[in-house]
Amino acid sequence: MTSARAQWRPTGNGGPYSAESALGGHAPRLQRTGRSLPFSDERHLSAHHWLVEESYVLDAQHYDEWLDLLAEDIHYLMPVRVSTALGAGYDSAPGMAHFDENKYSLSRRVARFATEHAWTEDPPSRLRHYVTNVRTFATDDPGHIVVDSAVLLYRSRGDVREAAVISAGREDLLRRTPDGEGWLLARRTILVDDSVLRTQNLAIFL
Amino acid sequence: MTDQSSLLEDVRRGMIPAHIYNDEEVFRLESERVFGRAWVFVGHESEIPQPGDYVVRRVQEDSFIVSRGEDHRIRALFNMCLHRGMQVCRAEMGNASHFRCPYHGWSYRNDGRLVGLPFHKEAYGGEAGFRRKSQTLLPAPALDTYNGLIFISMDPDAPPLREYLGDFAFYLDYYTKQSPSGIELRGPQRWRIKANWKIGAENFAGDMYHTPQTHTSVVEIGLFREPKAEKRKDGCTYWAGNGGGTTYKLPPGTLEERLRYVGYPDEMIERMTRVWTQEQLDVVGRDGFMVSAASVFPNMSFVHNWPRVEDSDDVLPFISIRTWQPVGPDETEVLSWFAVDAEAPEEFKALSYKAYLMCFGSTGMFEQDDVENWVSLTNTAGGSMARRLLLNSRMGLLEDDATVVPPLPSEQFSGPGEAYVGYGEYNQRHLLRRWADHMERPPGTAEQIRVGGDGSAVTA
Repeated sequence: MTSARAQWRPTGNGGPYSAESALGGHAPRLQRTGRSLPFSDERHLSAHHWLVEESYVLDAQHYDEWLDLLAEDIHYLMPVRVSTALGAGYDSAPGMAHFDENKYSLSRRVARFATEHAWTEDPPSRLRHYVTNVRTFATDDPGHIVVDSAVLLYRSRGDVREAAVISAGREDLLRRTPDGEGWLLARRTILVDDSVLRTQNLAIFL
Repeated sequence: MTDQSSLLEDVRRGMIPAHIYNDEEVFRLESERVFGRAWVFVGHESEIPQPGDYVVRRVQEDSFIVSRGEDHRIRALFNMCLHRGMQVCRAEMGNASHFRCPYHGWSYRNDGRLVGLPFHKEAYGGEAGFRRKSQTLLPAPALDTYNGLIFISMDPDAPPLREYLGDFAFYLDYYTKQSPSGIELRGPQRWRIKANWKIGAENFAGDMYHTPQTHTSVVEIGLFREPKAEKRKDGCTYWAGNGGGTTYKLPPGTLEERLRYVGYPDEMIERMTRVWTQEQLDVVGRDGFMVSAASVFPNMSFVHNWPRVEDSDDVLPFISIRTWQPVGPDETEVLSWFAVDAEAPEEFKALSYKAYLMCFGSTGMFEQDDVENWVSLTNTAGGSMARRLLLNSRMGLLEDDATVVPPLPSEQFSGPGEAYVGYGEYNQRHLLRRWADHMERPPGTAEQIRVGGDGSAVTA
């Protein structure tokens, strides 16, 4: 069945979100092409490796190190998901997101955590980013790949409250570093699976 | 509550029994007596601009379809099928000419009228058995709007909204009427926090005292220059009608210079000077105060700040509107919208949105630290020791109830109500006194509606 619904959002974690954002004008527009690459493909293996390394950096809240993994023109976007009727043609709040960031605003967030007064993470949460369902696609530019992944964040604070769990799909656009050895994150869309978040805030990154 | 009168007496003196922030019995009474009668904000007309547009919003556990009919009228329809009580709309937003119940297929027009009743003739004997023609989804007991803000009250005898808001409407215009077109609302971001709903409402109403401490980090990273302790206390808090808020003191200058200082472009300033009254303009231009956070009783809040959103010295103002929607004594759903003047230039709208995201809402760098405090407070208030503690909420008052500083005279503050410069808990006391007034009034009796019967209402 080919419906209008299938056209506005492809299977996977991509979609029109970055292109439709009022703050996404600077973002690279490259999209996935064809079927996902074989799991033995060098690009898939290195992308998967990159995601796993990143998740350890995020768990440890080594955010200065994380910023170095991001391209200067990054668009880091987490739409606000809404329940809409089947066939409505959209599933996020128009013109609104949780994160809609460029490198500057992400750098301010990281700088804040580096102060001694970011109370919400003092004491820090215990974080675990579980990353799975990774698949990789070529794009029209050999220097870029698109990677889908699923992420489950377990966030535990203190010794009284229940831990928070955030489930999301991500679509990343990775760009080869100039030396050709690694990747930089050039665009990330985070499709959180809750319309009402069950966590006190998003003082974390996904 | 076994000792309610003594509790309310303490609250009125500014001594707050700590357990009111996490207490099943208090919460049950709030549901009945505060949210059972106060005007509660549910959305803005700009969220449903076209006929058929709807959003679904709750007041406590009651779900309402807030829709715009083909006649352009805005209604709030109780989201429960008249037949077996199924929700007729299970989306959060959309556009629909009709809502069809998935259970037995009854369908309603977007103005609430029951138009489809399968096998009406065969099953009910037609109109003789079930009077379909007069039936509609149950409307909210009362609905009213101000500057496009849509409020519901569960009390059919609620006073008109404008009367309820009272002189707070003067201040509401700063947030919601910067041009003849008013605001457009985006969002909301929604998330649940393990905190009591009153804490956020009190904080936004008047807590200038927390700003330099809780929000040290946002000054340190250069996001917002105003909350430095020495600067924050130069602002004033005001209370008028059914709401109150905080302000910052602006540097010397003309009205235009002061509005430019917080980041408004000249074309927006020009429209403000046209739509605001002389008194509204004087609060900024003559008296040098700019509104920041505010709350309307019981659970609606506003914020207006002007952070740096890029690596430059320019600042950009943003407005957020939110509700603290009670879920339980220790849990609140926050609905946080971004609001912007509908006539603002597109570039301003985009950067103001960015300013909002950086400061408030689910990811906001201010809000993150606020919620951490409120969750901790709520948790601690649930135990037995909290029942022994009366928190002192008397800042700004001496023992004989005289104020530490005199209220601002009208030559220094042209707005209505009562305003004080510096740190004080005047507004938190105002808010909780209104809460106490509601808590001691038993609820009225509600009318019951007989579906499809003789159409007459009966009193329970």
